[in-house]
Amino acid sequence: MPDVSEDAKLQRALYVGGVTLVVALWLLPLFAVMLTSIRSNEELMAGNYWGWPQKFSLIENYTAVFEQTAMLRFFLNSLLITVPSVIGVLILSTLTGFVLSRYPFRGSNLIFALFVGGNFLPAQIMMIPVRDLMVRLGLYDTVYALIVFHIAFQTGFATLFMRNFIAALPGELFQAARAEGASPFQVLRHVVVPLVRPALAALAILTFTFIWNDYFWAIVLTQSDAVKPVTAGLNNLRGEWTSAWNIISAATIFVALPPVVMFFLMQKHFISGLTMGAVKG
Amino acid sequence: MSSVELRKVDKHYAGYHALKAIDLKIEKGEFVVMVGPSGCGKSTLLKTIAGLETINSGQVVINGHDVTREEPGDRGIAMVFQSYALYPHMTVAENMGFGLRMAKRPKAEIDAAVKRAAKILRLEEQLDKRPKQLSGGQRQRVAIGRAITRSPEVFLFDEPLSNLDAALRTQMRVELSSLHAQLGSTMVYVTHDQIEAMTMADRIVVLNKGQVEQVGSPLELYANPANIFVAGFLGAPRMNFIEARVETVGAASLTLTAAGMPAFAFGDIDPVGISAGDAVTVGIRPENLHVLERADAGQASFPGQVRLVEHLGRETVLYLDASPLQATNSDSGTGNFTVQLNKVSPISVGARLTAGFEIAGAYLFGPDGRTLTSRKPVPAT
Repeated sequence: MPDVSEDAKLQRALYVGGVTLVVALWLLPLFAVMLTSIRSNEELMAGNYWGWPQKFSLIENYTAVFEQTAMLRFFLNSLLITVPSVIGVLILSTLTGFVLSRYPFRGSNLIFALFVGGNFLPAQIMMIPVRDLMVRLGLYDTVYALIVFHIAFQTGFATLFMRNFIAALPGELFQAARAEGASPFQVLRHVVVPLVRPALAALAILTFTFIWNDYFWAIVLTQSDAVKPVTAGLNNLRGEWTSAWNIISAATIFVALPPVVMFFLMQKHFISGLTMGAVKG
Repeated sequence: MSSVELRKVDKHYAGYHALKAIDLKIEKGEFVVMVGPSGCGKSTLLKTIAGLETINSGQVVINGHDVTREEPGDRGIAMVFQSYALYPHMTVAENMGFGLRMAKRPKAEIDAAVKRAAKILRLEEQLDKRPKQLSGGQRQRVAIGRAITRSPEVFLFDEPLSNLDAALRTQMRVELSSLHAQLGSTMVYVTHDQIEAMTMADRIVVLNKGQVEQVGSPLELYANPANIFVAGFLGAPRMNFIEARVETVGAASLTLTAAGMPAFAFGDIDPVGISAGDAVTVGIRPENLHVLERADAGQASFPGQVRLVEHLGRETVLYLDASPLQATNSDSGTGNFTVQLNKVSPISVGARLTAGFEIAGAYLFGPDGRTLTSRKPVPAT
């Protein structure tokens, strides 16, 4: 950049410094967890929380997560809960979004308002009714309880998301498909789904992260170790009197990995401007 | 190839009467252009033929068969949209074969139809490309190709050329006309561009405010507009209009006065319902308005000052300010009269001159806008 005045240089330095500071503060807890996950328990007992580790226990701690705790089981439970929930949410919200954006009917706005409005209810007020419902349905303390609840709960937001995305697609594409004799289901399959792939990818990551990270409903709707997801499982690792924070930290890092992996898997689907060339321009 | 018939087609939107009891018959193999200003209902009318818009009352009949309640896909129509409406995630070949694929036709048949359409439209090299890799003209040809592959009874075009640049538009106009000659299909074409209407149509349907103003061949409409709206809509540059007042009413003539003009007589008209004092409008096409060497006693004339000169090569267009004469031609905003000369003219901006016209070539419109002058001969084609 030629001809940058002293003022601009100073501003730039302040800006970079400020950003660095905020990022450092933001990452500090994560950094602390990472650091703790490679310390030995003795060192933590001795109070060395922030200093350079005298001994690296990376392998020991991470193998301990799998050997001494039930994290693998919790991890599997989380996958059993999260993956079907995300798929369910994507399918349902694509269907609702398609109908609500393209086939208005009497009362469709009311239904849409209910989907959206449901998001504003605090989850806590549903705690007891939902638990009672699941008990009566015989789903309490099974993965199905969480799957059913998460699909129902996330579909509200996901419908808003998909409806707006599908409504933004050029209307003439739908008219053209209809003029060519495509049935609504064919339009959905051959026109809508290919065009909303970026939205589906974004929605998949969002709902995956929401559901994977959910702790509240995990402890409301499950009890036994055989169905508990990782979030509730992590809490199990805390002992009655003392906690092996290095092991808990290692387990935490392990638990945080899937959403990150999910993000990288879905990244290639975020192709912006996929609808370019559909209509003029 | 099919005929299309609209019987008393009526359409309301919330608080808005979009189509007012439209009756129209389009013959087999005819190229009909529906033209009108924006908001006149022409696109809505096209979509009611397609079945993309429902109607409140009336009937849509294709090939003698009432299709009012049928889905667009069952009507034997194919539509080409202004925005092309190509599927961005499909190749050109997939786009063109979409309709047949949805109808679950055998692959060999689809491929053959796509190849045939691609050949007609010279798209053979582009079949594996995606829409965004194509130019505007190519995209429009793909959209037309998508219509051709289904071998429809009726082609419907909704302002298909308005997104193209001027040169390409002229070229596509010629291509569409020759496509019509080649396929012989019934085509209904909507545009707001009167040049497209004049050049392509077998018959023009002029629409205004949800009503049919006039139907006829381009030259018939140009020579004998039924009313002031059609007269002003067809022809470029636009017809000049002078606001005048009836002084005396004769058996087949009227004497008129207009501000800044000596009284002049208008013959060869049917003055039924016209009385002295009525406000009427005189219409003169720019090519019928001349620059006079000297004011002739027998000719209607008025003085004016040149505001703008356009040299189009062989022709010259002069924009005149002729106040206090009241005119309703607002084509340019620079002057209220347009004179088209079939020669290069040395007249320059600021010049004062006298403009005149022959009564025989002019039109007279009554207070309700109806044409009062009798039929003019239509040039034979």
